[in-house]
Amino acid sequence: MDIDAPGAREEMSFEVWMPQSEAAAVGGSRAVAPVLSPATSLNTRFHLGTFNLNLHPHRAMNLSLVDPFVLAQDCPDVITGRLHSGHSTSIRFSHRGDLLASGRHDGIIVIFDIETNGVARKLRGHTRQVQSLSWSTNDRYLLSAGQDWKCVLWDLKDGSRARTVRFEAAIFIAELHPKNHMMFVAALFEDQPVLVDMSSKIPVKHPIPSAPLRSQAERDNATEKQNAQDAKQTTTVTVFTPSGDNIIAGTNKGWLNIIDTASHELRHSTRITNNIIVFIRLTPSGRDIVINSSDRIVRTLHLPDFADPKLDFETLHLEVEHKFQDLVQKLSWNHVSFSPNGDYVTASTWMNHHIYVWERGQGSLVKILEGTKEELSAVEWHPFRPKLAAVGVDSGRVWLWSILQPQRWSALAPDFVEVEENVEYIEREDEFDIQPIEEIHKRRLDQEDEEVDVLTIESAKMATEFEAGDFRMPVLLDIEASDSEDEIVAIGAGQFRRKVDMNDEDGVSGDDRRPVNGTGSVNGAKRRRAG
Amino acid sequence: MDDTRNPSPKRRRDDNTYDDESPPRKRSASHSPSDAFPQYRLAERPARRYSSRDNDSDEDRSYYRDRRRSHSRSRSHSRSRSHSRSPSPSRSRSRRRTRTPSPPPKPTSLNYKPTFILRGHKKGVSAVKFSPDGRWIASCSADCTVKIWDAQTGALEHTLEGHLAGISTIAWSPDSNLLASGSDDKSIRLWNVATGLPHPTPFIGHHNYVYSLAFSPKGNMLVSGSYDEAVFVWDVRAARVMRSLPAHSDPVGGVDFVRDGTLIASCANDGLIRVWDTATGQCLRTLVHEDNAPVTSVRFSPNGKYVLAWTLDSCLRLWNYIDGKGKCVKTYQGHVNKKYSISGAFGTYGEAPWAFVASGSEESDIVLWDVSSKNVLQRLEGHRDAVLSVDTHPSDKIIVSGSLDRTVRIWKEVEVEVEVKVDADADADADADAEQTPPTSEKEREMNGYDPEEMPPNRFAE
Repeated sequence: MDIDAPGAREEMSFEVWMPQSEAAAVGGSRAVAPVLSPATSLNTRFHLGTFNLNLHPHRAMNLSLVDPFVLAQDCPDVITGRLHSGHSTSIRFSHRGDLLASGRHDGIIVIFDIETNGVARKLRGHTRQVQSLSWSTNDRYLLSAGQDWKCVLWDLKDGSRARTVRFEAAIFIAELHPKNHMMFVAALFEDQPVLVDMSSKIPVKHPIPSAPLRSQAERDNATEKQNAQDAKQTTTVTVFTPSGDNIIAGTNKGWLNIIDTASHELRHSTRITNNIIVFIRLTPSGRDIVINSSDRIVRTLHLPDFADPKLDFETLHLEVEHKFQDLVQKLSWNHVSFSPNGDYVTASTWMNHHIYVWERGQGSLVKILEGTKEELSAVEWHPFRPKLAAVGVDSGRVWLWSILQPQRWSALAPDFVEVEENVEYIEREDEFDIQPIEEIHKRRLDQEDEEVDVLTIESAKMATEFEAGDFRMPVLLDIEASDSEDEIVAIGAGQFRRKVDMNDEDGVSGDDRRPVNGTGSVNGAKRRRAG
Repeated sequence: MDDTRNPSPKRRRDDNTYDDESPPRKRSASHSPSDAFPQYRLAERPARRYSSRDNDSDEDRSYYRDRRRSHSRSRSHSRSRSHSRSPSPSRSRSRRRTRTPSPPPKPTSLNYKPTFILRGHKKGVSAVKFSPDGRWIASCSADCTVKIWDAQTGALEHTLEGHLAGISTIAWSPDSNLLASGSDDKSIRLWNVATGLPHPTPFIGHHNYVYSLAFSPKGNMLVSGSYDEAVFVWDVRAARVMRSLPAHSDPVGGVDFVRDGTLIASCANDGLIRVWDTATGQCLRTLVHEDNAPVTSVRFSPNGKYVLAWTLDSCLRLWNYIDGKGKCVKTYQGHVNKKYSISGAFGTYGEAPWAFVASGSEESDIVLWDVSSKNVLQRLEGHRDAVLSVDTHPSDKIIVSGSLDRTVRIWKEVEVEVEVKVDADADADADADAEQTPPTSEKEREMNGYDPEEMPPNRFAE
């Protein structure tokens, strides 16, 4: 995932519009009003990054053939598809990026295959809406938290429930430990957050603190009221750092707590805001954090390397890097996420149809993704592709944004060349010489003297963060009521075509595509052919 | 000629009887029992069949155009014309000494011996494939059946019936639990290998014969190439076309997925090999040889960096499709391939390991080339008609081949001492081959399969 950051930064040329008065209004921190003209933002995106192929953790075979210009585009552009199965409420990409888990309003979890845009598996176990989802690092296990006050660990090998953990309170979020899929941390409604060890059949719950860590001086001077307030603080969101050694928790009073996983002790506390911290997301490196808070500001921070033994939690000082907000419309943000390497921050907007994309180098707004005609809740970035998934609040569909690759005409024939302008062709000296065919054949065969290695697989670029053994989810052929809806297929720039069921909707473009309520499941039923 | 009985305009009927073709090439008498298959008639559709372009290209081109206009028209090409004209570099066994003396030396020949002859198909065998776990061999035939054999014992495990026309291609799912078959009845079927039963939903969508199939490495997608000039990518779970690649303007002969599933290769009669991006469905590369010979089969190398293509000019070409605009890096010659869609596989040998290419030939032998030196490592002789399909075992030194002579043969490598290998000349090898063959085949004939004349039990009778 290591992107050559300094090099990439140099390439960037942003025009940042920062009206002085507004910048001053937020105390000098970088704030970018959404009045940024779309044209400016479009111009900037092509300067992002050098043609860096290391972006992807998997060095896929197709990368060597794809237009480097396309590869350099790292921010999604247009709606390229949508997934539909029931009313989705929460989504999460698997670490390998081939699956998308979608928790539904009715408690069913649907695993979509992102490559086929079809339903790969359905998991039944929750009776209420699914609140949060978390994949194990090897993508074999999925932890789901439901509004029925329980967490379920699913084994995707056979779709069974490996563990079920019940709580006495509603669950805000449950996150699997990155190294141990039998451990998770959960933030509970008006209760202490818990670290749950599920390795035995009967899960063991360890409460972890919510009250922020006060220094000795603060403790001495604390009034009774302050102590009472501290005691009343509850944790609203918990996440593991990538190593799993620490838990980062956000409280309803705007504190960020860093908790040691092994000892369950507070290591550090910082007050980020005065309002509730709604959501936290880390980059895969764990060095960047994005925080969504109810004060309508999305903050990003750099984190220290927690694995560093020299790190002193006493003197640790976390500083807000960027504050992203909309000063004109005072938008609040439903859900935030990072792009794979943390270059971009995306946020879905409350009571609005847009997804805002900010770039972190300069802290500027680069793009507003639109076209859904409904409010979007959860928004997730694909783990290594320029691809976004977001859940529509009204329809419960999962919308996908990505980049449309134009067909390169030069790929269609070996002698096609793409030119910017007319070029006068200069023939080679011997181009029209007539030579005996045998001679040409012989010469050609003689030239084929290089050593050819057809066996060695370059594995250097393969992701190291995945456990060996490569779990592969079995392909099920008999998913009942396979009601995925992906009949819209991109066939060109901004053009979509419906694959099946041409009757009710065809030739829609990305903008005027309207979700037709109620047709989804009917389509699914129709598609299932009788045996 | 039995043109009147020919149901399909595409199938040029080759009903030459067997014995006037391919003169006995072995001294061993056991190899030409002309009475072994009396009345042998070429299969309904033994395999995909193309015409050779170099002989009468105009005529053949018109054939493909004609088939749309007049469907009843069929032609009677003489089949024999191709064989005699083929140059015979094949006979010369270039035995290059190992270049580097450092141990271990690169073997200059291989020693595969016939082990089993699997009989049971009533018509020519069009494709054979080892399962990815190496346990099974699947073979498909013009007799509308797929047979699954045990790779170690050669025992017949299942006969899969359900297709209504000859089967050209089969593909194993990566977990070896599913087998896909593509047929002239325009459908693709999935079979449960454990039970031998078909999946209730056939894949319908192609307008003409299905020629080639390949599973994606995850098993969630299936790519199919058809005579209708289309390449479809199927969602295996939902049994529907996920993407249609506007691939070619001639029948598609072969398709393959690259190692990590991000690329698809397709090839067609128009002489083009195209490489596609699986995710976007866009063409990323087009490879074409100057001679434009029809490409009948294509396969990615094990590391995915090259594609190997079979063309009807009796050549196999290895293409580096990545660098520049794509370049042919190796041409393997020594087999005959002017008419049938022959397929083969990559295999490994020796310590390094080195790679070889295995392919069938219309001269009823199997040729193994070293990938880098292009030298012929071995010719496996024993089939009595064109060998249409060859596959190598995923881990062991086993080769399986299927031929128009209705048999599937298993060949295993036998270790020989280095001295013998170095000193033995070509003829001695050939003699040894010839002498070993008859007893083995005699023995195996009783061991496996059932009477080819007796109908196999029909699972769908009721």
